[in-house]
Amino acid sequence: MATTDSLIFGLPTGLLVSSAEDPGDVPETTFGPSLLLVEPLSSAQDVLDSMMDYDATEPSQSTDGISNLGSGLRRVHLTPETTTTRSAEADDVFVSTGLLSQTGSSDATFPQGTYDSNISQSQDLPDVSDLLRPYAANASTSSGAASFSTNIIRGTSFDGGNVFLKRKSRRQAQMPAMVSGIMVDHAAMLSCTPGKSTVDSASGATNFSKLLDVPIHRLLDQLSLEAATRIAREDSHRVDVTRHPQPGPSTDTSLWVDRYRPKRFTDLLGDDRVHREVMSWVKEWDHCVFGRRQGRKRPRGEEGENLDEWRRPKEKLLLLSGPPGLGKTTLAHIVAQHAGYSVFEINASDARSAQVVEERLKPALESGSTVGSKKPTLVVIDEIDGATGGTDNSSGFIQKLIQLTYDKPRKKGKKADPKAPRPLLRPIICICNDLFASSLTKLRVHTRVVRFSRPNDIQLVRRLREICETEGLKAESRALTTLVGVAQGDLRGCLNTLQMFKAHGREVTEPVVRTATAGMKETEASYMSVLQDLFSPMARKRVKDLGLNEEEEARYVDRLSHAIEGSGAMDKIAQGCFEHYANLHRHDANFSRYLKAEEWLTVYDVMAGEMRSEREYALMQYLPYMLVPFYPLFQERGGPKIERPKADWENYQATKTNEEIYQSLARCLRSAATRHCGDYRHLASDQILQLELAPLLNRIISPPLKPVNRQIIRPGEKAVLSRLVDLMVALELRFFQEKMEDGQLTYRLDPPVDVFVTYDGKRAADIAVSKYAVRHLVAAEIDARLASLQADNIEKSKPNKSNFFKRRTHLDEANEEDVDNINGKLVSAGSQPDFVANKRTRIDKGDITDKVAVDFFGRPILPSAGPAKQPSTVKPENQNHVSYRFNEGNSAAVRKPIKVGSFL
Amino acid sequence: MSLWVDKHRPRVLDDLHYHAGLSARLRALAASGDFPHMLFYGPSGAGKKTRIACTLRELFGKGAEKLKIDQRVFMTPARRKLDVNVVQSNYHIEITPSEVGNYDRVVIQELLKEIAQTQQVDLSAKQRFKVVIINEADSLSRDAQAALRRTMEKYMSNMRIILCTNSTSKLIAPIKSRCLLVRVAAPTTEEMIDVLRHVGRKEGFDVPDKIAHEITEDANGNMRKAVLVLEALKMQSTDLDKPLTIAKPDWETYCHKVGDMIIQEQSPARVMEVRAKLYELLSHCIPPTIVLKTIAERVVQQVDESLKAEIMHWAAIYEVRMRIGNKKIYHLEAWVVKVMSLYKHLFYDINMTDFDD
Repeated sequence: MATTDSLIFGLPTGLLVSSAEDPGDVPETTFGPSLLLVEPLSSAQDVLDSMMDYDATEPSQSTDGISNLGSGLRRVHLTPETTTTRSAEADDVFVSTGLLSQTGSSDATFPQGTYDSNISQSQDLPDVSDLLRPYAANASTSSGAASFSTNIIRGTSFDGGNVFLKRKSRRQAQMPAMVSGIMVDHAAMLSCTPGKSTVDSASGATNFSKLLDVPIHRLLDQLSLEAATRIAREDSHRVDVTRHPQPGPSTDTSLWVDRYRPKRFTDLLGDDRVHREVMSWVKEWDHCVFGRRQGRKRPRGEEGENLDEWRRPKEKLLLLSGPPGLGKTTLAHIVAQHAGYSVFEINASDARSAQVVEERLKPALESGSTVGSKKPTLVVIDEIDGATGGTDNSSGFIQKLIQLTYDKPRKKGKKADPKAPRPLLRPIICICNDLFASSLTKLRVHTRVVRFSRPNDIQLVRRLREICETEGLKAESRALTTLVGVAQGDLRGCLNTLQMFKAHGREVTEPVVRTATAGMKETEASYMSVLQDLFSPMARKRVKDLGLNEEEEARYVDRLSHAIEGSGAMDKIAQGCFEHYANLHRHDANFSRYLKAEEWLTVYDVMAGEMRSEREYALMQYLPYMLVPFYPLFQERGGPKIERPKADWENYQATKTNEEIYQSLARCLRSAATRHCGDYRHLASDQILQLELAPLLNRIISPPLKPVNRQIIRPGEKAVLSRLVDLMVALELRFFQEKMEDGQLTYRLDPPVDVFVTYDGKRAADIAVSKYAVRHLVAAEIDARLASLQADNIEKSKPNKSNFFKRRTHLDEANEEDVDNINGKLVSAGSQPDFVANKRTRIDKGDITDKVAVDFFGRPILPSAGPAKQPSTVKPENQNHVSYRFNEGNSAAVRKPIKVGSFL
Repeated sequence: MSLWVDKHRPRVLDDLHYHAGLSARLRALAASGDFPHMLFYGPSGAGKKTRIACTLRELFGKGAEKLKIDQRVFMTPARRKLDVNVVQSNYHIEITPSEVGNYDRVVIQELLKEIAQTQQVDLSAKQRFKVVIINEADSLSRDAQAALRRTMEKYMSNMRIILCTNSTSKLIAPIKSRCLLVRVAAPTTEEMIDVLRHVGRKEGFDVPDKIAHEITEDANGNMRKAVLVLEALKMQSTDLDKPLTIAKPDWETYCHKVGDMIIQEQSPARVMEVRAKLYELLSHCIPPTIVLKTIAERVVQQVDESLKAEIMHWAAIYEVRMRIGNKKIYHLEAWVVKVMSLYKHLFYDINMTDFDD
């Protein structure tokens, strides 16, 4: 039965499988491979192919297939007679497809499979649904399968013959669409050779009449031959119908850039690896976004390795970078579309602040899909290098974005807290031109970076030629090559230029291209390439690309000044010139060129300085000319490579660090001034600090002490030591113990004022570097002094403040005038507070001894020295008594339990 | 414990060691009851601030020495916060507006108005006015100076201003004409030696003549520096009778080294070496004008008589440009290249300009 069927239908099916699934019915047939023949060259058909396993069944009630077929043939045969116009022909064909699919959504289901011409046809024929109505009604009522006729679908085979298909009840919903896919293809095949179609269908009809006469292999041959010739013809015309949905409408006002924007993955120009890299990154999200299903369908070897607990790729962001016009945005959109996402785009036209992340991005990501679409969202952030805020402040856009990738989800068991951050579960693609823009420094680390490079020139030229032909624009291939060369691979720029030619009605010839592209792209150069241009003559290739003659090549002022101005980084270029010119080989015996170069640089700087301080930005236009003279002075072929200027930055960093040390020293001086009634304050001003105090202070605090036990220090040295300790305590200079990399202990001065006597990494020769032991000694002394000071303060703080104050300042007499009459009296006794104070000092002492013992492992002498000395400094404290002063009218009294005995 | 500079700083006019005539005049002014606005000017380390402090003491008595140092926060119109260190007593206030750079106008306006509009509260005060001391007045911006001039007249009853500056050239004429100008000249060598001896005596040692002379010569009229050097020497070696070398500040030594390098060799490689040294100096926050001046002085000492004038001439030119421009290093190096070129021309004793293309 199956074989007869195939013969009856005249279908070139290699295998017709009869299925025993439905024994009550007539066996179902499958004719999948037939379409392979129709579309042998389109790789995209594979997808379609896999879906082709629908059932084609002969109507169950007709025992005689031939009669049925006959009627079908008759029908086809009749059509051309009644309607001779092409549209009618198409109409007929379309009816048969429409019957099955009733739809414009077929392209959504088969994005790759449909010939785009079909779309145009459906647009041409908007009233198709009217034609379909009877059939559609028929199909829609067929759910119950009450009568055989509703269960049978009639279609037209690729040759125009009718096919009867039995619906498989299980797949009722899907099948029509699928079948329509085939039919659409057939229709397209017919329509793309419009001249021949009538003949085809007619001959097809005649062929069909003696269908049984022709052996199947001949039919197969014939079909493949037909397909081959058609493709050959298309190729020779170079009319790329597949890519360009609207060929030829010259009245169309849309930009060519939009019209010829690639619509699918295979159309993309450029490095395939880059495209695939992006695609695979997006695919890595499948597991997270679509769940298990997708993952099984495409099992990858390393799955799970790169993924985290939510099955996300390790880098949650993708950063596409590259020069403009290469199709980064298009790639992002196409990949997203292919992978089944709907795109949510933020670009430079939107506000991009940290708020946007909160208000727009997060909702978009969390809702999972945009409104009106069932697909999950993929966020594309275009032109991210222009995002505001930068990375330095924590509330910037980019900072927020990075933070987004780190947000953890709620814990499973916990109650839903709407405020808690949720994890990022959708892919984000960022697009930028300059990968090394300062605003992206932080972002780069967290992203997978994909860099775009200029596509192959040949590829570009071929694409341009195709487009020119489609548009009916005459173009010399030399001219196109030139255009691509001048544009440096910017396809968008090329297309715009071409469209301009077309609009002006000009032909694309080389001179036209030259004049039109004068100045094109000159403004895009980075400052490094401008520097390169300044110090080396133009590359031969570039000269050729621009088609300059000798004289034009020799003219440099205009070219370079434009380039410098265009780079937008004049200061950096000036810095680069400054750092590079002395590295060049050219001999300059009397420094004449150096002099000139310096003269230009200083003039540049003076002018730039004046411009900034006086806000005279009109001067800006003259600045580039100050740097151009470096070209005639220093240009040489094959000179040393220019490096990114960095000395200035390093100097800046070092200056900043040192400035901070100065500032902390100034702070120390000021706080010392408060304690010493303004003594140090005059030294804290900048110039004095830098020029006089800093170097001399270093000498003052590093006397040549001998590292000996403090008990056997000579009295002279002892005085020096005690003075040193006094000064260091007053200025809040400290020695801190630190461990070096090799495990050795050192004492570091803090704040590190010794940098001011250190030039080129060497300390001044006349200052002895104090040894570890000396510093240890000093540090211990400082600690002891501080402890005793602290004890003093505690002792004297509350009860006897005025007294204390008087002694601390040098204003004994002055105070007596100012201070109020002392109404209280001093009372002494071995009272409680005194005891407490003593106790506290003792605790302090204990601390010191402990510390010293720990610090000083190798030398057991000193720890004993520390506490041995201590009691003498602390002893006088015992003689201090509780004092009490009564201030009349003062309510700020402190209540304290004191025994009466202490007042007696 | 203070450094000797502060410890032995005279606190009353009578204690001042030199410029006795000036002291007498200040005393007279303070006693007159008609104290004017004043402008103290003179080289660094001559004793301007010491004299100001003494004058205050003379005006207000000991209360003027009870100082309080704190930080005040000012707001710019653009809501930027400025921190200014303010030293004040009951009778005066001392500020350094150059701390805040271009925003000094804000500080001057707000602070002065605030002080000017409050009357002296202390009824027992000797004077009815308060004194505002403005340090480093030469770095006041033009706006700030303009803000000052009207205030000085308007609030004369409540406030006197004492400006303290190294040179009057940067002050606008209206300010100068509103003040009594007091020049504090640098002390002579003898005066400085006197002071050093006084310090030594107070600290309990004798300053040998030789050392005193050397220090004075090195300090070049800067009393503060002289005392600091003396203290450094004393700390470094307790015995001052031994032969000692006076330590120069390190940046100065380094500048001299750069000067020597320029004289030794003139080549592109040397230009780069000098540049590295210049960067090192700048990163130590040594003001570029000082760097240029010090190197130029060193170079001039070593070159032929005929070149001296020219080298200094160019140093001056490049210093002016440097003040206008932003990148100090360009101008420093431009000068270095200029000197190298000049020196080379002289050395080979031929006019090489003919070889220029």
